[in-house]
Amino acid sequence: MTDLVASELLKLRTTRTFFGLVGAALGLILLITVLTASLVPFDPGDTPFIDLIAVSPLAGIFALVLGILAISTEFRHGTVTPSLLTVPNRTRWAVSKLIANGVAGLLLGLAAALIPALLILLIFAVRGVDSSADAGDVVNVVLGSAVGAGLFAALGVGLGALIRNQAGAIVAALVWLFFLEGVLGVIPGLDEVIPKYGPAAAWSAVSSIDAADDQLGQLSAGLVLAVYALLFLAAGIAMLQRRDVAANSS
Amino acid sequence: MGHAIEVAGLSKTFGATTAVQDLSFTVDQGRIVGFLGPNGAGKTTTLRMVLGLVRPTAGTATINGVAYVGLDDPVRTVGAVLDGGALHPGRSGRNHLRSYARASGIGDDRVEELLAMVGLTDAANRRAGGYSLGMRQRLGLATALLGDPKILILDEPANGLDPQGIRWLRDFLRHLANQGCAILVSSHGLAEISQMVDDVVVIDRGRSIAQAPLEQLMASAGGGMRVRGPDVARLAELLRAEGATVSGDGDLVVGDRTGEQIGRLVAEHQLVISELTPVGASLEEVFLRLTQSEAGGPS
Repeated sequence: MTDLVASELLKLRTTRTFFGLVGAALGLILLITVLTASLVPFDPGDTPFIDLIAVSPLAGIFALVLGILAISTEFRHGTVTPSLLTVPNRTRWAVSKLIANGVAGLLLGLAAALIPALLILLIFAVRGVDSSADAGDVVNVVLGSAVGAGLFAALGVGLGALIRNQAGAIVAALVWLFFLEGVLGVIPGLDEVIPKYGPAAAWSAVSSIDAADDQLGQLSAGLVLAVYALLFLAAGIAMLQRRDVAANSS
Repeated sequence: MGHAIEVAGLSKTFGATTAVQDLSFTVDQGRIVGFLGPNGAGKTTTLRMVLGLVRPTAGTATINGVAYVGLDDPVRTVGAVLDGGALHPGRSGRNHLRSYARASGIGDDRVEELLAMVGLTDAANRRAGGYSLGMRQRLGLATALLGDPKILILDEPANGLDPQGIRWLRDFLRHLANQGCAILVSSHGLAEISQMVDDVVVIDRGRSIAQAPLEQLMASAGGGMRVRGPDVARLAELLRAEGATVSGDGDLVVGDRTGEQIGRLVAEHQLVISELTPVGASLEEVFLRLTQSEAGGPS
C-alpha cells in the first residue's frame, strides 16, 4: 500500500492541474486576507482574526475538486487501463488514491490556514490592531481547516469514482454545496437535519471556532464529514467493481 | 501452472450485442501468437477480459492458471499495452513511467533503462501529450516491460509505427520469445504481423474461425509457397507425383504444401533452389477470405 500511495502522490505532483489548484487556492485566500488585514479599519470589540481567517476553509473547495479529479482524470485519459493493470484490485487502487489525495488536501488546508493566520497576526502587530484571538483559537482554526480540506479531498475521490464524468462530478458537487443544500435546508422536516448535518454544514462547522448554536462542534463536524467520505468511497468502489473498463471509456 | 495464457469458452455480451462468443485458445512460452480479426471482431474485448478489465459473461481467461486479478505480482508476470498506450497528456514520459514503477516498487534505474531501450530518453522530459503515435506506443511498451514480465499482451502494437519501428518491434518480440516469453499480439491485418508470429488465432464477429501455426494456415488456405531456382522443373515433377497442386513455369507456386514439406523434398533429392517463400500478396487474401466467408462480404 505504501508503494501505491507513493505512486499516487507522484502522479499528483507531476501535472500542472495540481499546482494550478494549489496556487489558485493559496493565491485567492492570501489576497483576500492580506488586503483586508492591511487596509480595513477595525473597531475595538470586533473579532478581526476570526472574521478574516474564515476565508481559509475555501481551500476545501479546491481540495474537493482535486479529489474528484483523482479517478475521473484516469477515465478521461484512459490511464485507468495501465493503472488497473498495475493494481488489478480496484478497492486498493481507490483507497490509495483516497489516502494520497486526503494527505494532499490536508496539507493544502494546513497551508491555506497557517500562512494567512501568521500573516494576519503579523500585519495586526504592525498596525497595532487587537486580534482578539488567543493561541488556542489559532490552533483550532488551522487544524479545522486542514482536516476539513483533507476530508473534502477524500470525499471527492469517492465522488469521482461514482461519477466518472469530470465536469459532471465537479458541477454536481458545487451545486450541492452552494445551492441545493441551502434549498433543501428550508424544507420543513429537513430543516432540522440538513443545515446541521449536511456536507456543506459539516465542512463549515469543522473549521469554525465561533460556532452558532445550531452548528456541530469542530470534532463532531469532522466525524460527520469522515462518514460522508466513507459513504462516497464505498459507493464509488462498488461502482468501480461493477464497471467494465472498456476502450475509450470516458 | 497451466498455459501462459488460456482462454476457455469466453463470451461477452454488451446488452443485445455479442462481442465475443465461446472463444478458446492458448498461448505458451516461447511462442508469439497473432490474434487476428477485422476491426470490431472482439479482439480488444477479449484482451480486456484476459486482463481483468472487462468481466466475461461466460467462460474463463487465466494467466499461468490464475485469473489476472488474482495474480500475486501482476506487473512482473504480465506486461500489456492496450489503446496504443494511454497517457496523461500533461505528464512527461519519464514521470509516467516512474509513477507506474513506484506502484510496483520498481526503481528509477529501470525507468531510465527502458527509456533508452525504446528510444525515448531524449523526449523523456517532454509532456507526453505532444508525443507521436509511435512514441506513445513505445512509451506503452516501456510501461508494460517495467516488471520484466514473461508474458506480453499487445493490442495493435504496429499501429502508428513506421517501417523501422515495426522491424524493431519484430526483432524485439522475437528476442523476448527466444528467451521464453509468451506473447499475444492482436492485429486487424495479417500482413502487418505475418513476419512476427508463430501461430495465429483468427476471429470474426466474436467467434474463432481459424487457429493454427501461421505456415500451416497459409498452406491450407491455398496461399501457396513460391519456389525459385535452377531445379524447379524437377521439383515440380516430384511435387505433382505426390499429388500437390503446382502452378507456374519459371517460378513455381505450390498450393498445398508447407515450406517445411517442400524443403524436405528439396533436401531429399538434393535439388538447388534459390528462394522458398510464402506468396506475399496472398497473405492478405487468406485473411480476407477467412473473415469474409463468415461475413458474406466486406462489412
